[in-house]
Amino acid sequence: MSLHALGTDAPGQLVILSGNEAIARGALEAGLGYAASYPGSPSSEVLGSLGALARAGGFYAEWSTNEKVAMEGAAAASFAGVRAMTVMKADGLNVALDALTSLAYSGTKGGMVVVVSDDPGAHSSTKEEDTRYLVRACHLPLLEPATVEEAKEMTRWAFDLSEAVGLPVVLRSVTRISHARGSVTLGALRPAPRTARYDLNDRFITTSLFHQVLHQRIGQTRARFEQAPFNSCEGPAAAPRLVIAAGPSFTYAREAVRLLGLGEEVRVLKLGTTWPLPEDFLGAHLKGAREVLFLEEIEPFLETEVKSYWAQHAAELGPVTFLGKASGHVAGAGAPGVGELTPEIALRAVGALAGREFEPRSEAFARKVDRLPLHDLPPRALAFCPGCPHRASFWAIKAALELDGRQGVVLGDIGCYTLGAMQTGYFTLKTVHAMGSGVGLASGFGKLDLLGFTQPVVAVVGDSTFYHSVIPALVNARYNDAPVLVVVLDNSTTAMTGHQPHPGTGRHATGDLAPALPIEAIARGLGVPTEVQDPLRVDETVESVYRLLKTDGAKLLILRSPCVLLPSVKRLRRAAVDPARCIGEACGCGRFCNRAFSCPALVWDRALERARVDDVLCSGCGVCVDLCPRQAIAFQELASCSR
Amino acid sequence: MQPVNVVIAGVGGQGNVVASEILATALAACGYRVSVGETFGASQRGGSVMSHVRAARGETPGPLIPKGLVDIVVGFEPLETLRIIADYGRETTRVVVNPRPVYPLAVQAGEASYPDSRDLLETLGTLAAEVTVVEATELARRAGDVRAQNLAMVGALVGTGWLPIRPDAVVRILGERFADEMLRLNREAFRLGLEDVRQRV
Amino acid sequence: MGRRGPSELQTQVLAADLCTACGACLGHCPYLKSLGERVAFIHPCPRSEGRCFDVCPRTSLDPESLDRQVLGAPRRHPILGGYDGLYFARARDADVGARGQYGGVTTALVLLALESGMAGAALLTSGTPTREPRAVVARDRDTVLAAAGTKYSACPTLEPLAGLLRESSEPVAVVGRPCQVAAARKVEAREASGRLAPVIGIFCFWALTPAFYRFLEGRRDLERATKLDLPKDGGMTFAVNGRTATVRLDEIRPFIRPACQACFDPTAEWADVSVGSTEHDAAWNTLVVRTARGRDLVERARAAGALEVKPYPLERIPVLEEAVQRKKLRVLDALDAGQPEVAYLGLREAQRAAVRAHGRA
Repeated sequence: MSLHALGTDAPGQLVILSGNEAIARGALEAGLGYAASYPGSPSSEVLGSLGALARAGGFYAEWSTNEKVAMEGAAAASFAGVRAMTVMKADGLNVALDALTSLAYSGTKGGMVVVVSDDPGAHSSTKEEDTRYLVRACHLPLLEPATVEEAKEMTRWAFDLSEAVGLPVVLRSVTRISHARGSVTLGALRPAPRTARYDLNDRFITTSLFHQVLHQRIGQTRARFEQAPFNSCEGPAAAPRLVIAAGPSFTYAREAVRLLGLGEEVRVLKLGTTWPLPEDFLGAHLKGAREVLFLEEIEPFLETEVKSYWAQHAAELGPVTFLGKASGHVAGAGAPGVGELTPEIALRAVGALAGREFEPRSEAFARKVDRLPLHDLPPRALAFCPGCPHRASFWAIKAALELDGRQGVVLGDIGCYTLGAMQTGYFTLKTVHAMGSGVGLASGFGKLDLLGFTQPVVAVVGDSTFYHSVIPALVNARYNDAPVLVVVLDNSTTAMTGHQPHPGTGRHATGDLAPALPIEAIARGLGVPTEVQDPLRVDETVESVYRLLKTDGAKLLILRSPCVLLPSVKRLRRAAVDPARCIGEACGCGRFCNRAFSCPALVWDRALERARVDDVLCSGCGVCVDLCPRQAIAFQELASCSR
Repeated sequence: MQPVNVVIAGVGGQGNVVASEILATALAACGYRVSVGETFGASQRGGSVMSHVRAARGETPGPLIPKGLVDIVVGFEPLETLRIIADYGRETTRVVVNPRPVYPLAVQAGEASYPDSRDLLETLGTLAAEVTVVEATELARRAGDVRAQNLAMVGALVGTGWLPIRPDAVVRILGERFADEMLRLNREAFRLGLEDVRQRV
Repeated sequence: MGRRGPSELQTQVLAADLCTACGACLGHCPYLKSLGERVAFIHPCPRSEGRCFDVCPRTSLDPESLDRQVLGAPRRHPILGGYDGLYFARARDADVGARGQYGGVTTALVLLALESGMAGAALLTSGTPTREPRAVVARDRDTVLAAAGTKYSACPTLEPLAGLLRESSEPVAVVGRPCQVAAARKVEAREASGRLAPVIGIFCFWALTPAFYRFLEGRRDLERATKLDLPKDGGMTFAVNGRTATVRLDEIRPFIRPACQACFDPTAEWADVSVGSTEHDAAWNTLVVRTARGRDLVERARAAGALEVKPYPLERIPVLEEAVQRKKLRVLDALDAGQPEVAYLGLREAQRAAVRAHGRA
């Protein structure tokens, strides 16, 4: 993260920023006063960078408990006349949606920008959700940047727009903006205000009486969109073949036209303000088009909106062939709208428009590649890091359930520990849904005993997830006396998204100290029996889980051990295998450490026919030392091993 | 004009994001407009990762390199390097690779086998225009920490001369990005990678 | 040994609820674990054959083969198994007698085995009768005494055996239920010839599941009992604070391990000596001397003044035989009906006939 570039007051300087940093910078150039967010890939680094700059910049930045609270915090600042921003991933918008639909009715005051990052291809998500439909359902202005630099420009512009029309403005980013880097020209920084005040003549009440007002505001937005600098068209004016693109798909479209040599034959219309559609602008460019190709992520949102516009104006516009995801012309290996829209898909679609193909490789090369046994190459499944306490936790939970013998069901949630549904977590988790869903489901399963259910129920949640949305579900389980075991995997951080702090870690987004709100205090306050256990002591953990499975009512077991990637966790020792004691494949082991426990640092040495510890990867957690049936693995102190 | 297209390929956790950032900054210092396409988040947990680094004179390129247009592959891991060359490379692609394997879970569990290292490098040799093998993990160990393997590879890349990057520019950029021991380590790893390749020419 | 291993152990024994929690399969490999007297694979083992299958007394039991291995000859008694002498016995040491369930014979014999050097360590079951017991490796008097007294549930006492046999060369004394004795003999045949000395079997007609202890937790009047007993005339007695409470047997029966229904060997026919209740005089034990080593042990104990022995009352022998035969006949009926839970027993028709015929004129 190039923080020093981000906070520099040097307008005109050319720097490299990530999309998230560019968004943060855009807000700073707009005079941001308040920022709140909950971590969610690919959006987390926006608040991450703002948090690091907040103190010096004189503005407020917080990691909130969840996205709804974050949005409400930002709304408060807006009501007090302060420019505010809230940031989330697509799933986070789902959480905050009730607040956002309400704000659309109540209106806002100080510019409020809602940054939502979708994840086409679900690189870091459980779903690939296209939030543009939700923004449209809220009736709120929608902006889609096509480049990292545009993300900065749009963010700054969005604050002005928000104040002009009195509505929150949604900036919809995607992974290829948020997590990309690009050259950016810095603008001037604007200081945060010192005039926060709630004018008692203002009222921000959500009432259906304001539905009509909302529509009027959207009409004003549309008028401004007609003049927005983010919509453009390039290529020959008379060309009947038109590509309409939004987001980074625009850069793929432009590169495709260049690589295919179609610069004189195909027009490319870039839309940056995608809802409400700038209809006059659109209509002007649709005239004369006979074939229109849509390149957008994730769903055929624009495709449908434009077709609807065309249907309204069919008489003037004449017949047009629309090509895109809805028509099936733009698709990857999966169905249209499934998976990321890649440059190759864009090349194929644009090429098909003009009957051209793009093949940059020689036939000889292509044949060599065909002959490679690529499908024989081992796939690389996701795995818990070496030393991750979750591996030990899932190992213990699974063992306890096997020993319990009643076919217990384990319900999962969102975090690094979601990998507990895969091989690295021994396929322990049977369900994964939304944040907090694990305990909600557990509460339901727990009450099925009336209907013949006899299986023990375990819900596995993370520490950050606990504060986010588990508490109401835990209250429900306690209130309804559901016999469920909630296991909190507390690694003292929000790990999967980049180790952000949360209410249990004792730190703010700025790095300052914060009061720590221990999970055990909350649970015990609800009357839920709670125990704390070190998951790296596997035998003890197995016994704790086993014992708790036989008790009644709702109970909580906190498996607490810090994430090995945290800087505060020092590597003091390594494990090493004594080849003289290791029995490898033989009965009594069967390659237990590397095959069954399966830590990435435990390697099977085929030549020696013994297990070996990869000293680059080993973090020294010691679980394999305990698990080895022949005590063949022992610690080596750091001094005696070369790093 | 076509952008220069570089892919850094490896396994999550090997430091490709930092390496791509340093590389992009160094290219920007040469006057290019740069774009980097990354995938991080879940893939950091041991999955395959790649960073697309693109540099162009004129307009900023898009963040992803179309398949078949990769000029250089910087491979932090040999199996991933092979996958990237097969998917994104062409006959003119040049490769600098760290041959040290990182075993996937399936291999450790005995459900799949990892190709023989020599075969892997040989296959890379038949596909790429040029392959430079750099024991970057060992160089990083000499610098003081095996995790600086990524900077040793950046050094090796600069050492090949395939890109117009000057070493002192990278040294300066490292100074803006790191401090204290991290700075010393990364500069040393970079230097060892640079010299390891230079002394072969 | 056959090409069978963990997967067969799982389907034939563990999943079929036939496991007796003897513990023989445990302690050798990391895939098999036990908690709450339940044995389970905590992770699938990839091997197609293994020790676990070989040593389990419920994968297969061949009484004739065991008779040859342990006694050196076919049995002469179809109901009580091979034996050299049948006695009433009791410990002479008052401490030992006080700690023991009845006559303290098992404890006395274990102490002598250790003191005489016949064994370097003894594998015993320790604990109080109202809580889950644990296996203990005893090398000194105090530890042996602490393990005295009957435990009514199925503790997997043999778990430490694999480790003991591996880590040293000293002989190991084993005290176990009949299923544990059979398992110990299978271990001996596979890998530990001459290492088990002595093997003392405890009479057992059934063992309880740990649900029994939870039942006790719900009974304030019983949970602090210092001694439990199953006297002949029905009911289970609990000695609490000098008084005796009784619980009817049908309140206890629901806790009987289902696997015990398939057991054919209530008197531990392949032990060196077997010890049980007399069901007649609580101050004495029934003592069955079976092998040469068993005879040697008993003689040494008598010579050392540790054990008092008298002939088993002739008129009580039919009572003992009838109880044992009744259990064996139930199993024979199940065998005849082709029930799978007794399929592990390799009993030829001649043996079955001999069991049926015994005692009938």
